Amino acid sequence: MSEQTIRKPLPTTDGDSQALWDGLKEGKLLLQHCADCGHVQYYQQSLCRLCQSKNLVHKPASGRGKIHSYSVVHRAPGPAFKGDVPYAVLLVELEEGPRMISRLVGNDFDALDFDLPVKLQTVKISDDVCLPYFSLM
Amino acid sequence: MSNRSLRGKVAIVGVGQSPSGRVPDRSPLDLTADATLKALADAGMDKSEIDGVLTGNAFASSFHRFSVALSEYLNIQPSYSNTLQVSGATAAAAVNTAAAAINAGLADTVLVACGDSLLTGMTPDMAIRAMTESRDQQYEMPFGIPVANTFAMTAHRHMKEFGTTPEQMAQVAVTFREHAARTPGAQKTDPITIEDVLASKMVTTPYHKLDCSLISDGGVALILTSAERAYDYAQEPIFILGAGEHYSHEHIFLMPELTETGAVKSAQKAYDMAGISAKDVDVAGIYDCFTGTVLMMLEDLGFCKKGEAGPFVEAGEITYGGTIPTNTHGGMLSYAHPGIPAAWYHFAEVVRQLRNSCGDRQVTDAELGLVHTLGAGFSTQATTILGKESTL
Ligand SMILES: [Zn+2]
Repeated sequence: MSEQTIRKPLPTTDGDSQALWDGLKEGKLLLQHCADCGHVQYYQQSLCRLCQSKNLVHKPASGRGKIHSYSVVHRAPGPAFKGDVPYAVLLVELEEGPRMISRLVGNDFDALDFDLPVKLQTVKISDDVCLPYFSLM
Repeated sequence: MSNRSLRGKVAIVGVGQSPSGRVPDRSPLDLTADATLKALADAGMDKSEIDGVLTGNAFASSFHRFSVALSEYLNIQPSYSNTLQVSGATAAAAVNTAAAAINAGLADTVLVACGDSLLTGMTPDMAIRAMTESRDQQYEMPFGIPVANTFAMTAHRHMKEFGTTPEQMAQVAVTFREHAARTPGAQKTDPITIEDVLASKMVTTPYHKLDCSLISDGGVALILTSAERAYDYAQEPIFILGAGEHYSHEHIFLMPELTETGAVKSAQKAYDMAGISAKDVDVAGIYDCFTGTVLMMLEDLGFCKKGEAGPFVEAGEITYGGTIPTNTHGGMLSYAHPGIPAAWYHFAEVVRQLRNSCGDRQVTDAELGLVHTLGAGFSTQATTILGKESTL
């Protein structure tokens, strides 16, 4: 197995997502707010998903959310994650509305439950990348 | 809605399978070609009659245009070809697309085939990696989310909202194992109990190893032709009565609701085209990548009410004598799961049931069948309704 295949996948930023990943390096989770219809989106794109307006403004999320669903991974998805298991993948519903895939900081799996409040904690995983994880309140 | 319809315009006239399960040293193209030759023999057809080829892609093959590579391998030069990619939904999507192409005059006779060697052509880690690379590389994969995890989170929420239990999910695996035991060529035939499922290793909560589909090698081929030509061949034609698809999202976090999927709309479109409802269906092939997936599909396809699939399965409604005998070959959980080709077996089985050729696993008086395939964390959904001539 080559070095390349066991390295964790790092996000490859693009024109749509550069601001999100830059913001995370400063500890901020930037959401796109539509200045025309008020829709808030996490997934970064050039158009509002509701009204297709290009009038989108980045604002930092409060960092508060709740666990909509979760799954504790015991069998790693490939060699890169073998050292991490077990870990909890969270589907977090942010206070502002959007949902996002994230990870639980730590391994207090017994404390996990649906609709439990969580707060943002950015975690540096390489020189250039911080991921938005969440911790229990 | 369009009033154009595929109802009764196209039939499946040939079905073939390569050996499946553990089939070492045979390439995905070899397995697919083997299945194709068997489907041609089943139909009593010469390969020169095939003028269309649709396939999915194979993880253990480097060809980007698998349908074109397969044509070359078989030395046929079709006038219509494509390699479809909507993950697990590809099987029904390919059948629907082939039927539409025939009905539109793009081809007369279309080979719809797929084969892969996930078990012996790749290491288990490569197989899983192939699956995970289908998740978004920015918003999902850096968090270590296997595709299994997207299905696990939907099942988990289903447990929370409707009180669905791990035992009820396990019953799906137990029932399909019983079905596989009656099916020649099934990969797993040893009986299992609910306790066995719950005692098997946890993969990603709430799914244990035995809640998850197998990893296999194998190829399957179907041959479709127009209703006018369908009686020229050796087998009873099985007609396409309805086709529906739905694509609701790409990312799991943009799925509108975790516990109600696009299968509702996909199935409704297919039922409307066929002029039937769920209660008319005699036998079903339902994509069973995980046990909980089947529960959610039983609800969304209309076989039981939302939230009631757990008790429905416990009451024996998805086996012989029940409301809707499902995956009578054993499904991806026990028959075979070579990746994208996996749901082709559901078609092969439902066609054989409707031909009344299943021997001691025959569903009595089966005339109307449904195949539902899905993929990518419920992102992609495709439904096909099939029927005997008597249902036209
Ligand atoms: Zn807007």
